[in-house]
Amino acid sequence: MKSIWENYNTEIAYDELMSSEFQPRQISYRLCQYLNSLNKSDIDKRKIAAELAILEMGISFTVYSDEGNIDRAWPFDIIPRIISSTEWRMIEKGLKQRLTALNCFISDVYDQQEFIKAGKMPAEIIHSSKNFRKECIGMKPRHNVWANICGTDLVRDKDGVMYVLEDNLRVPSGVSYMLENRVITKRVFPELLQDIDILPIDDYPSRLQDMLASLAPEHIVKPQIVVLTPGIYNSAYFEHAYLAQQMGAQLVEGGDLVVNDDDCVYMRTIEGLEKVDVIYRRIDDDFLDPEVFRKDSALGVPGLMRAWKAGNVSLANAPGAGVADDKVVYAYVPEMIRYYLNEEPILPNVQTYLCDNPEHLEYVLAHLPELVVKPANESGGYGMLVGPHSTTKEIAEFRKIIQQNPRNYIGQPTLSISTAPTLCKGKLEPRHIDLRPFILQGENTFVTAGGLTRVALKKGSLVVNSSQGGGSKDTWIINMELN
Amino acid sequence: MLSRSAERLYWLARYLERTENIARLVSVHMNLLMDLPNGVEMGWLQLVRINALEQQFYEKYKIANERNITRFLLIDKSHTGSLFSSLSAARENIRTSRDLLPDEAWEQVNEMYLFVKNFNHTDSVYNRSNRVLLLNEILKGCQRFTGLLSGYMSHNNPYRFIRLGKNIERADMTSRILDLASLLLAESRSDEMRQYETILWVNILKSLNAQLMYRQHVRSSVNGDDVLNFLLLNANLPRSVSCCIAEIDSCINALPNSDALPEELAKLQAYVQAIDTQQTSQAQLREILDDLQNKLGELHDRISNNWFMQVVAE
Repeated sequence: MKSIWENYNTEIAYDELMSSEFQPRQISYRLCQYLNSLNKSDIDKRKIAAELAILEMGISFTVYSDEGNIDRAWPFDIIPRIISSTEWRMIEKGLKQRLTALNCFISDVYDQQEFIKAGKMPAEIIHSSKNFRKECIGMKPRHNVWANICGTDLVRDKDGVMYVLEDNLRVPSGVSYMLENRVITKRVFPELLQDIDILPIDDYPSRLQDMLASLAPEHIVKPQIVVLTPGIYNSAYFEHAYLAQQMGAQLVEGGDLVVNDDDCVYMRTIEGLEKVDVIYRRIDDDFLDPEVFRKDSALGVPGLMRAWKAGNVSLANAPGAGVADDKVVYAYVPEMIRYYLNEEPILPNVQTYLCDNPEHLEYVLAHLPELVVKPANESGGYGMLVGPHSTTKEIAEFRKIIQQNPRNYIGQPTLSISTAPTLCKGKLEPRHIDLRPFILQGENTFVTAGGLTRVALKKGSLVVNSSQGGGSKDTWIINMELN
Repeated sequence: MLSRSAERLYWLARYLERTENIARLVSVHMNLLMDLPNGVEMGWLQLVRINALEQQFYEKYKIANERNITRFLLIDKSHTGSLFSSLSAARENIRTSRDLLPDEAWEQVNEMYLFVKNFNHTDSVYNRSNRVLLLNEILKGCQRFTGLLSGYMSHNNPYRFIRLGKNIERADMTSRILDLASLLLAESRSDEMRQYETILWVNILKSLNAQLMYRQHVRSSVNGDDVLNFLLLNANLPRSVSCCIAEIDSCINALPNSDALPEELAKLQAYVQAIDTQQTSQAQLREILDDLQNKLGELHDRISNNWFMQVVAE
């Protein structure tokens, strides 16, 4: 019988689990030993069991399309991705350092702007950022933390080094899938999880709740926490409901909340109006409050900004935090770490060319076929150019788009992002992956043990977003000292 | 508890109860028809009649045969009262209320939904033995749902709204099944029908899971007057109208801001208790049941005004 590893190619990029076709890395030795003990039909059975579990647990995401919104089952690959705890401790430290510096920066942006005054960043970058909210100037959120929940995307290049690709500071999603992936793996490979010492992840909802509670206005003892969702048609609705349920918090929509003349936020209940202290909002700034931001927003709550500025309610993430979630600002994060923390960055950035800078722009335009060019403010993998995978015509069109609005574009070298064995038609094949750990910052800082590993299921593809054919894997941080 | 959540849980319970009722009704009826000679008044169409759906049925189908009627009642997506539509609506309501219920509650409803949905892909519902499988799975699933809420969930306000919805739907269904029974009282009924009368009354009891309880309680042969009395007024049978109203009453009394509703409930219970089932004619019974259904409809409106409406009020 043919092995599921037959012709496994480790030459494409750095492979997370295999050092060659026949040689697993130290961290994946036990996993590979176990996989080799299964025959093809065993593996098929586990895959089917996983798919069934996903359907029954109703793990889904919503895709916007012309035929209306479709609820799709979450694509999951049963082969886990593994990282050693030794490496993870370094990454964890790096993530905490990074978010701390980013929060110092956001506080500074809405206060004295010392960073800019010190000549570390042109003022123009902030003022032209569409996520800079002048309404937030002078605000002091609890613990001076603006971005309380952050999802940072990491990728490993061919040199084996983990790079930060971007920081998601607005309403990052994916954590519920990280949690559910582990639940499925426990169902599918119970023997394996018993044997290997994997760091647990299921304390996230209680950590999230603790963090949110630490944001409540000071005099409140048992704060009322709610999760504000745009509603059932949002692609991450499943996650909003999941997190609310796991925290025992109320899941509310804009229409359930009202701001009264006392500038406090209330929710409409069967007992009348009840005061709300902390809102974990999963709605973009733009739609948060039609009195201040987009007037046509039916998702938000009129007066919410008033209540927030009066200190009667905490919002996580704070409005305006997105100013640091900008791919141009990203390029300055290493400098922020040096400036605010007086430390050297633990996690490196990817080399970034800012099209706003004439020299950089010239370089980007001259090297389009080998670069990845991204808009500064988009998410979900939309509107980007992957040079090596594009036609001459696509590149020519993109060149025009960049020239029309250089501030909105950055260029980066096309990384050879790492691969991991992924089950494709009964066989293991290398597929490109990234990693999104989640960092919580309130009174304390917490990093998930691992994160959500996303995988580009299409052969050769580098795009891991679920809206564009990506899937995910369970992520194991393995305690190497004990094993 | 959010008003919107209260409304969704209430409807979740109504739709699930409806799902279960349709399944039991079709299942009992299928068994009954195996016992009866062909051509008796108790054909498949009765199932459509008791839900007052004749017109809707004939808009879609020409012939009232087993195939069309089971399709219409069980899996027709375009018919909002079908088992599949009710289950889908229940799923939609629970999908948006997951924050209030134990995980297993959602998984249970979702599992049932997937099960019926897969049946939809094939013609297997026309096959009697497959149909039995489907109906049994639904009946079991609904019972599991009830059981796990009772064992896993705090008996708090969300739980009360679920009980409220369930019992209103249940009382309504019992009254509709009694409507079917009124046929048995028709003066004009055929001799053949008179001959099978006992079987038919037993069947009415079965469709409300009440046969064993009836035997224990009444301790005499099955007859119309006693069955009607038992199903309307018995204080202990969970599907009797009186018992449902008592359940609704206990929920309403434990909920905040119940306003004038407890008095309304007392009036409704008094009305039910005053129904005299001795020697009722078909016309009298139908009138009583129509009246009862209207009163249940009014009760729903009052509940909705009292607890759900403030979401819309703006």
